[in-house]
Amino acid sequence: MTMSHRPDRIDEPALDRLIEESQDLHTDAMAIARTTMPDLADLTADRRRTGALVDNRGVEDFVNARQTLIRRLTLSLGGILGFSAVSAAFARSASAADGDIDVMQLQTAVSLELLAVATYGAALTLPFIANGNPVIVKFAQTTMSQHDEHRQAFSAQTKTLGGTDQTATNPKYTPIVEAAKPTLAAPIDVVKLAATLEQVATETYLADLNRYTDVTSRVLMASVMGVECQHLATLRAVGALLDGGAPELIKIPLGADVTKLPAAAGSVAFPEAFEGITMASPPEEGAVK
Amino acid sequence: MNEPIEIPTLTRRHILVGAAAIGAGLVAAACGSDTKDAAGTNSGSSATAGSSVSTTPAGTNPPTGTDASATTAAADGGVDIKVAQLAAGLEVLAVGTYKAALDAAGAGKLGTVPAAVGEFVTVAMKQHQAHLDAWNKVLTGAGGTAVTEPNATLKPTVDTAFAAVTDVGGAAKLALMLEQIASATYLNAQNVLTDKDAIMLAGSIQIIDAQHAAVLLYVLGEYPVPDVFAKTDLAAAA
Repeated sequence: MTMSHRPDRIDEPALDRLIEESQDLHTDAMAIARTTMPDLADLTADRRRTGALVDNRGVEDFVNARQTLIRRLTLSLGGILGFSAVSAAFARSASAADGDIDVMQLQTAVSLELLAVATYGAALTLPFIANGNPVIVKFAQTTMSQHDEHRQAFSAQTKTLGGTDQTATNPKYTPIVEAAKPTLAAPIDVVKLAATLEQVATETYLADLNRYTDVTSRVLMASVMGVECQHLATLRAVGALLDGGAPELIKIPLGADVTKLPAAAGSVAFPEAFEGITMASPPEEGAVK
Repeated sequence: MNEPIEIPTLTRRHILVGAAAIGAGLVAAACGSDTKDAAGTNSGSSATAGSSVSTTPAGTNPPTGTDASATTAAADGGVDIKVAQLAAGLEVLAVGTYKAALDAAGAGKLGTVPAAVGEFVTVAMKQHQAHLDAWNKVLTGAGGTAVTEPNATLKPTVDTAFAAVTDVGGAAKLALMLEQIASATYLNAQNVLTDKDAIMLAGSIQIIDAQHAAVLLYVLGEYPVPDVFAKTDLAAAA
């Protein structure tokens, strides 16, 4: 009996069918992973927040979903191919999540929040801000802190969805801020720069809302949007008072000086009935590459 | 600042609770739309807050409709329509309240009205009218009926509060309450809206109403951005 070292002839049609089935199974695996991983993440988040014990039913649901998939794979292609597909699906879930539009939007949001924190931080080092109007100083400090909390919330949600946390400032607006820094010579310059960033954030988050598949992320973004737009409104009003030569009216409480406010101060903060999205950053702008 | 962030409505489980809450509110709103304006006793310049207003069509894009093949009531536009009805009822109430404030100011019932406050009321009222027109365009575009009556649940409370207003500060506080209710309701609606245009419309209006609230806070001597995250606790839900 002679042994041939030549490999057996490959049945190409059969191989094509196997590859096609494998691709189908991979698609199924990703679909199941996508539907069960967020639930598991929610479960984890709940447990961390409340300190509660593990909800066995939730874990069982997750395990059952995985076992269902594994059974299907085993029946279809045999154990080895099935397990490798499952392993591949779960091993790749984090990197695959980075291409998910929900994750990209959250990463871009983090990039904007990081830039906002850095910009307000830089503004607070400028003598004419640090030693200037105390209301403007308090606003810069408080707003910087709020943006950092927004960044933390978006980062946490990014990880919950299986994405990579963005740690870099926004690539489009960082050079713009850096170019503007040497030109900042008075409070009005800082106010206008900050207003630009707040408008970009507000409109970006608005434009993102109807692209989310994850409702939790959508509500988080709308919640932050509701604060960024108030930063913008405040900056518009402060900017108008500075431009109008009435910096003494930038104070809290305003008290009887409310009667000294120019009429325009009553509406300058909300010039349109509907917020637009012309300055919105696209989802991929600040996504992790 | 390194403390864990508490965002109470953000897990799927909490959203279900939130959705149930707004669902209850939406049912109430749906029932309320058939309710007569029992307290609608307008009389000249002392018009009751939240009386019926015109519904002139505005240049706002209505939702393009939802997938007819969807199998749930939520997916076929039912919840979106309920949100539109709830929102329109709130906008009628806001327009009516600002109109009543302007009338009261014109009659000298609020004392001296600062120019900026007068401008605020005038512009905010117009913007709420535009919001109302947009929601009514959504409703009529979907084959429904435009809302012309104020939210029946809130109207008695607003009427009582307005009757006690004697100055600009009191009117500003009432307006602030309405703006905070509106912006919270629009935020809460993001939990249940399904139509992409409706999601955008609610978000766009939430922004403007939150900005109205910021200016009112400043006028009232308070910090204009008091919260780190916009809240839903004042959302119209019952």
